[in-house]
Amino acid sequence: MELALGVVLDASADAARTTELARQADAGGLDLVVLRGGPDTGLDPWTAAVWVAGVTDRIAIGTTGFGPPPEHEMPYPSVVEKARESAALLTGRRLVDGEPWATAPAGADRAALEALAADGRTVVVPVTDAEDVARLVALVGPVAGRRRTAAARALRRAGIDYDGVPASLAATAVEPGDPEYLAVSSTYLRGGAPGLVLRPETPEQVADALAFARAHTHVPLGVRSGGHGVSGRSTNDGGVVIDVGRMNRIEVLDASRRLVRIGPGATWKQVAAALDPYGWALGSGDYGGVGVGGLATAGGIGLLGRAHGLTIDRLRAVELVLADGTPVRATADEHPDLFWAVRGAGANFGVATAFEVEAYDVGEVGWAKLGLVSTDLEKSLLRFGEVATAAPRDTTVFLVTGRPQRGQSMIQLYAIVDSPDPQVVVERLQPFLDLGVLVQQEAFMARYKDIMGQAPDVGPEGHHGQGEPVSRSAFLPGITPQAAHDTAELLRSGRVFFFQLRTMGGAIADVPADETAFAHRTPAFQATAMGVDQADLDARWDRLAEHFDGLYLSFDTDLRPERLHDAFPPEVLARLRELKRRYDPDALFRDNFPIDPRTTT
Amino acid sequence: MTDYGHDLLFGTFLTPSAQDARQAIDLAVASDRAGLDLVTFQDHPYQPAFLDTWTLLTYVAARTERVHLSGNVLSLPLRPPAVLARAAASLDLLSGGRVDLGLGAGAFWDGIAAMGGRRLTPAQGVDALREAITIIRDLWDTGTRGGVRRDGTYYQVVGAKRGPAPAHDIPIWVGAYKRRMLALTGEMADGWLPTLEYLPDGVGSFPALNARIDEAAVSAGRSPRDVRRLLNIMNVRFSATGRGVLDGPVDQWVEQLTGLALEHGVTAYLIGGDDLPTVERFAAEVVPAVREAVARERG
Repeated sequence: MELALGVVLDASADAARTTELARQADAGGLDLVVLRGGPDTGLDPWTAAVWVAGVTDRIAIGTTGFGPPPEHEMPYPSVVEKARESAALLTGRRLVDGEPWATAPAGADRAALEALAADGRTVVVPVTDAEDVARLVALVGPVAGRRRTAAARALRRAGIDYDGVPASLAATAVEPGDPEYLAVSSTYLRGGAPGLVLRPETPEQVADALAFARAHTHVPLGVRSGGHGVSGRSTNDGGVVIDVGRMNRIEVLDASRRLVRIGPGATWKQVAAALDPYGWALGSGDYGGVGVGGLATAGGIGLLGRAHGLTIDRLRAVELVLADGTPVRATADEHPDLFWAVRGAGANFGVATAFEVEAYDVGEVGWAKLGLVSTDLEKSLLRFGEVATAAPRDTTVFLVTGRPQRGQSMIQLYAIVDSPDPQVVVERLQPFLDLGVLVQQEAFMARYKDIMGQAPDVGPEGHHGQGEPVSRSAFLPGITPQAAHDTAELLRSGRVFFFQLRTMGGAIADVPADETAFAHRTPAFQATAMGVDQADLDARWDRLAEHFDGLYLSFDTDLRPERLHDAFPPEVLARLRELKRRYDPDALFRDNFPIDPRTTT
Repeated sequence: MTDYGHDLLFGTFLTPSAQDARQAIDLAVASDRAGLDLVTFQDHPYQPAFLDTWTLLTYVAARTERVHLSGNVLSLPLRPPAVLARAAASLDLLSGGRVDLGLGAGAFWDGIAAMGGRRLTPAQGVDALREAITIIRDLWDTGTRGGVRRDGTYYQVVGAKRGPAPAHDIPIWVGAYKRRMLALTGEMADGWLPTLEYLPDGVGSFPALNARIDEAAVSAGRSPRDVRRLLNIMNVRFSATGRGVLDGPVDQWVEQLTGLALEHGVTAYLIGGDDLPTVERFAAEVVPAVREAVARERG
């Protein structure tokens, strides 16, 4: 049987030894350190327990024998509660409540320990030196795969068959009690508490993960690449997350055709850096930290969009694993219907495992960030609408603004001019300078990789989003005076803290609407508004509906069913539904604009 | 010119943000690696966005090697003196003598009351702090026989067992701005720990406030040198042109800190801002230059 063992250490004033033995037990794969107080130790149990958590990485920590503090030494209960919450956050919930262990006499042999462990409790043994700890480490034996302490297992979520995690994924799976959990539980904009994060590295492992997901349709399922999803809920509460972040290879397949194979877990910053030495680029969105998988299955409205089209317009093949675990390669010739569907509605059809893209030559480009203060937002929006759409297609400018303050709006413009000629860049930007009073400007010749490279790397500690993003999206055929007026009014309400216009047109509109499931080829802009209360934002955004023609499904968190009809025009939705019936009839993929295969409306 | 002759200490004044807990830990670890002397955290238990400062401090102590740790300052109304004394001594033992004790009489009384703490007037707060410091030192004093017995107005200790004794003589630093608190600081404390931004006349406040502390120290039979002068400076940044205190190029930082040491006797500087590059630059470029300049002037 598998023995879960721990040590009992006297919390004596010999702090160095306590630290050393706790570290040895931690590294040796033991489950628990129990700090024992006594009449002469005097150490504060809370301080000692947090200290031991700080000097170790995974082991659970309990205390015993300290007794209650005398009356005049009672801490405030509210402060104690706060301390417990803080410790949970800092230590990954390794401090154990109560005394859920069995205590063996010092030097107890294996048979005695097994007898005590029969009821499933961790057995702890008093130790005084390194030899004692080493003996217990040897009894536990070499650690096969990941061993979780009883305290870690206690944090598992209901409804998930943790013992049934496929063998191919067990070593890298993360549960709530694991040290890496905080690093994988949240995404860029969203806090989460998933019950299990599976981290496949191959299409076979993705198929294993999907088999596990098929047995868990009673809990949420999220699919994550870079974790920047707004509508794509790549974390959840108590469900399963399939995180393909490790599938991040970037490989040039054929330099003469600029053909590149990219894993879904790469970020656009990494892609830009990998293509740069060849003098190539592939437009993505406006932020290098975003992952490939989510964006390349939705659209990709970026700062090279007017010059070179959507990101999905450069896809030549998509490899994905379907809901039933079948790996499929979709191209214009193989599974062309699926190839059509994954370019705009990919989240409904599978987990992408590789993309083959045709990059294009991009040399130095003009990059600008302009800050303009406007006292007449309506006029500025109207003017932006004219200038941004009238610009030659080498020029793509995005506008961002927020809550007006004291009657003034700060308008930020982000622009790429795809020209190596500084003179041309200046000419292209000139018409934008009269949107307000220019208060900040940063404009220089840059490589696309440097622009994407401005996004900081996400370290091993992962994302730290909290709560739920509240966002609405819409495509605008153009900015009419009424649209500018209504948008300005929305912003003056103060209920929208982020508003963005992404200019489209140019090469995006060259592609016929039926070429991809992303069918909104003609709008001049994609608008995003972020607020703090979904119902409030919905009510305000709905009032602007007359100006809209559909929405971009990456940026909308409204869950009302009619949004699906905004994302997909009727004929597109009908075709997608037909394909959903064929490829995902049980609707396994349901977290991001799910198409119900059973209905007809 | 006022220079009390203490060695110089340099450190950080960090926010115990719960959302950015990783950043708070990273900043503390970076302060340690960069060779700074002190890492300190604000303590506002009623602030929901913050971690429990004592827990964070303990955790950080376990993950650092040389740097000293302190609350800046710990909120006495929510941390009874006997609890504080034993916790501080315990961590001092565990960390090998790296704990200092920054204490405050309490601010934001609504928040304190909401956490179940006792609402005191400023004058009562001073008296409570005086009682607390006495009890804390009594409990640390294991050389004296018998239990601790103090029947104060705010804190009662009835025959409490002494100990544990800390690994080193833990200094008690008091956050003080007003007359009575400054007097208490001179009378009892090992250090005075104000925040520059809260001083009524900024750096210009030092002569008068130092004088109050000095006076109180002498009246209590102590030397002004018994009270180290520390200073938090919250808003700091390196910028190309000098705009204010610790808002300018490195040379200006060095000049200002050297001036604070030699003219006003401030010998510990704790910078806020929670910005890693600023902390690293402070440690690498400012600290050695200030040490050198002060050593040169002191001769």
